[in-house]
Amino acid sequence: MSNVSKKEFIHTYVQLPSVFPENFKELRLQAKISLDNTAFPTKKDEEWRFTDLKSITANKFESVKSGMLQASLELDEYHLPEARHSRLVFIDGNFSPAHSVVEGMPDGVIVGNLNKFSKHEKLRSHLGTITNYEEDVFVPLNDVNFQDGTFIYVPKETFIEQPIHILNVFTDLENPYYVTPRVLFVGEMYSKATIIEEHIGLSNNIYLNIPVNEFRLYRGAHVHHARIQRDSKNASHISRPVAMLDAHAEYHSYTICLGAKLFRNEPRVIQNAEEVDFTVDGLVLIDGEQIADTHSIMDHRFSHGNSHQLHKVVVNDQAHSIFNGKIFVAKDAQKIDSFQENRNLLISDTGKVNTKPQLEIFADDVRCSHGATIGQLQDEEVFYLQSRGLTEQKSRELLVYAFALESVESMAVKSVEELLLKEVIAYTNRD
Amino acid sequence: MSEETKALESMIGEEYKYGFTTDVEYEDFPKGISENIIRELSSRKDEPEWMLEFRLKSYNAWLEMKEPEWFNATYTKPDFENLLYYSAPKNKPKLDSLDDVDPNIKETYDKLGIPLEEQKMLAGVAVDAIFDSVSIFTSFKEKLAEAGVIFCSISEAIKEHPDLVKKYIGSVIPARDNYYAALNSAVFSDGSFCYIPKNTVCPMELSTYFRINNMESGQFERTLIIAEEGASVSYLEGCTAPMYDENQLHAAVVELVAMDHADIKYSTIQNWYSGDENGKGGIYNFVTKRGICKGDHSKISWTQLETGSAVTLKYPSVILQGDHSIGEFYSVAVTTKKQQADTGTKMIHLGKNTRSTIISKGISAGDSNNSYRGEVKIGKKAIGSKNYSVCDSMLIGQTCGAHTFPYISSENASSSVEHEATTSRVGEEQIFYLMQRGISEQDAISMIINGFVKDVLKELPLEFAVEANKLLDIKLEGSVG
Repeated sequence: MSNVSKKEFIHTYVQLPSVFPENFKELRLQAKISLDNTAFPTKKDEEWRFTDLKSITANKFESVKSGMLQASLELDEYHLPEARHSRLVFIDGNFSPAHSVVEGMPDGVIVGNLNKFSKHEKLRSHLGTITNYEEDVFVPLNDVNFQDGTFIYVPKETFIEQPIHILNVFTDLENPYYVTPRVLFVGEMYSKATIIEEHIGLSNNIYLNIPVNEFRLYRGAHVHHARIQRDSKNASHISRPVAMLDAHAEYHSYTICLGAKLFRNEPRVIQNAEEVDFTVDGLVLIDGEQIADTHSIMDHRFSHGNSHQLHKVVVNDQAHSIFNGKIFVAKDAQKIDSFQENRNLLISDTGKVNTKPQLEIFADDVRCSHGATIGQLQDEEVFYLQSRGLTEQKSRELLVYAFALESVESMAVKSVEELLLKEVIAYTNRD
Repeated sequence: MSEETKALESMIGEEYKYGFTTDVEYEDFPKGISENIIRELSSRKDEPEWMLEFRLKSYNAWLEMKEPEWFNATYTKPDFENLLYYSAPKNKPKLDSLDDVDPNIKETYDKLGIPLEEQKMLAGVAVDAIFDSVSIFTSFKEKLAEAGVIFCSISEAIKEHPDLVKKYIGSVIPARDNYYAALNSAVFSDGSFCYIPKNTVCPMELSTYFRINNMESGQFERTLIIAEEGASVSYLEGCTAPMYDENQLHAAVVELVAMDHADIKYSTIQNWYSGDENGKGGIYNFVTKRGICKGDHSKISWTQLETGSAVTLKYPSVILQGDHSIGEFYSVAVTTKKQQADTGTKMIHLGKNTRSTIISKGISAGDSNNSYRGEVKIGKKAIGSKNYSVCDSMLIGQTCGAHTFPYISSENASSSVEHEATTSRVGEEQIFYLMQRGISEQDAISMIINGFVKDVLKELPLEFAVEANKLLDIKLEGSVG
């Protein structure tokens, strides 16, 4: 063990809080032990071998004090009309009551900030129970540091019609800082909800965003979860969204990556009982020197599960996309139908794509398949559009737009779809 | 457990048919590895100074390296101090005809179903039979010599063609490449050497049969095949080994070099002892195989049928350096009982307009684990390159595992990579459909499995295809009664 001395720990890159926030002491103490014992990942770790962590390691990130709320910030342009009565806004990780609104929820529903409901029995019994990442520093960092977060509780047989918009806004502070947003969602039997989780950088500053999401879905619960990442182009974003599903539960998540210099997303869905259905889709549009890395796990631990993953990527300029999608099927988890597809469009000679779809199957009566492609626009297609009067440039833009469209159309909320179409056009149209 | 699973399980419980040992006296040589052992080994083989240097350099590299642990297999690591690094039948026979072969050895081959006489008559196949480490029989040599083809043991080549060996040995797989390649480079015992001169099509399929037959003797074959500009060769390698309790290590190195417009086809059937029901015994098959398409328009094709060994770690690879070069990998890996196979390929695209195809079929049964691990890498300068990969797994029974680890990367915008993988089992509907037409359950399963692997087996040379089919039958459908 001679190379132990060479290992770096998270303390090297972020300033840990000197005093823990008062609540959730036990969770934080546990996490502190993990942080002290787990080395910061390097390219020598299999899970990080393609990911350049320079945009984290080149900085020292400060923790954001809770009093620094900018209540006067104008955020109207980011509001979604469908969620005008169900919006939670966090500015640099702090809950902003002035920007948030929660009205007209069905009886028993809780949509609010973690601090306000910290004594709630359902919150206490669920927080930190399913975020079990091996050899990890980022979940424990979130655990010790989160000041506040989102708590959503949907009681039995309750449908929330309007989408809930969780808006994380990042402002331009003087020094690089880090923020640890947290979401805990508990959906009781046969409940239904739509969540739009958004991360927006208002400027081009350097910050580190480390969100952790916990979605616990009981029997028959149904969730549509859209995640839109529009962080500052100099930010780093390390995401850990986990969902655990009981029988007949459905969880459909769609992650859209547009911003951040370094984006690392590690979605995990755990099948905790028989008969579940879930989606882990993604759309990545990157250029410049962006790095977008998705390491997903679809963990089938019981029989009769359906899962689907379509991960689409467009890489331009010197950008670098990494994908590692794991499908696990445990022993005796029969009748699993799992499909994974990673399609990469590499449209520059300086971009780079690494992909590793991975199957680990221990049951025989299953149907699991994956596909991965790396390619470019077909000359015939470009020619076809040119022959109809489009310039070559326009033809190429249109084809990239069409490639991205499929993922955008999965959005359940109209205004989100429109917003994303604008983003896709802004990405493809570069003049 | 369903009826059909039971039927399958009983089929795969087939005993190792080739488990017997031959009683031949062995020259004694101390166990263990050290610089002195390597010097002794080299001097017994009467090797030139540069070869000894190569071995010692490799040995020193090996000492600095760590045994790899990244693969998807668990096993007791070999005790390198307890291995025998040199073994040869005591009196090296100088033979003119088959009659002079040690009757015991001859009997071994007969039991294996490889009668040399018959093979000799079967025009088109030259057999360089390796019994343990020393080459004892080479046929059709004259016919090959007429065409200018050099086909001999590597020991012989070191003496007779030192320039060629010196130039190419370690050029594709350097000694420092990996732990087992370094070990092989230090202690390799013997192997085959093949040189096809410019614009020559090798007049026959070349074939070498390996057989591990000495308890505790690690086998460290070294194979080197060079195809000059416009040359073409098909090389066949097949293995069986007797039943033993002690784990035996097999760490071979195979290097292929293809120049402009050259074409090398390398086929393997591997059926070494895989251990008993409880995973006791069996061969460790840690092989490094790599070919380089050095010249433009060259082609290297690997075909393998892996059915034996307790643990297999094997990734036959192609470096596509020349423009328009082609790399192919066709593989069937069958694991039963407690076998563990972690196998696949690497296709490294460096030249322009290079093409590669990967077709891998894994069948896991019993308590075995079967992994496909592959890498496709398209470099910045490999413009217009294409790769197509398919890796399918089939699971039989509920206690086995199938794993897929494909690494894919591309660094230019004019290349394309397609990869697909599926995991499934023998469908009940498929069996039902065939049975409905009067085919017995076993025959139905056998037909379905044959259909599953057909894409690969059809790539084998005709001589091997027959044996391959037989082997699959034995492995998966023999003993149902």
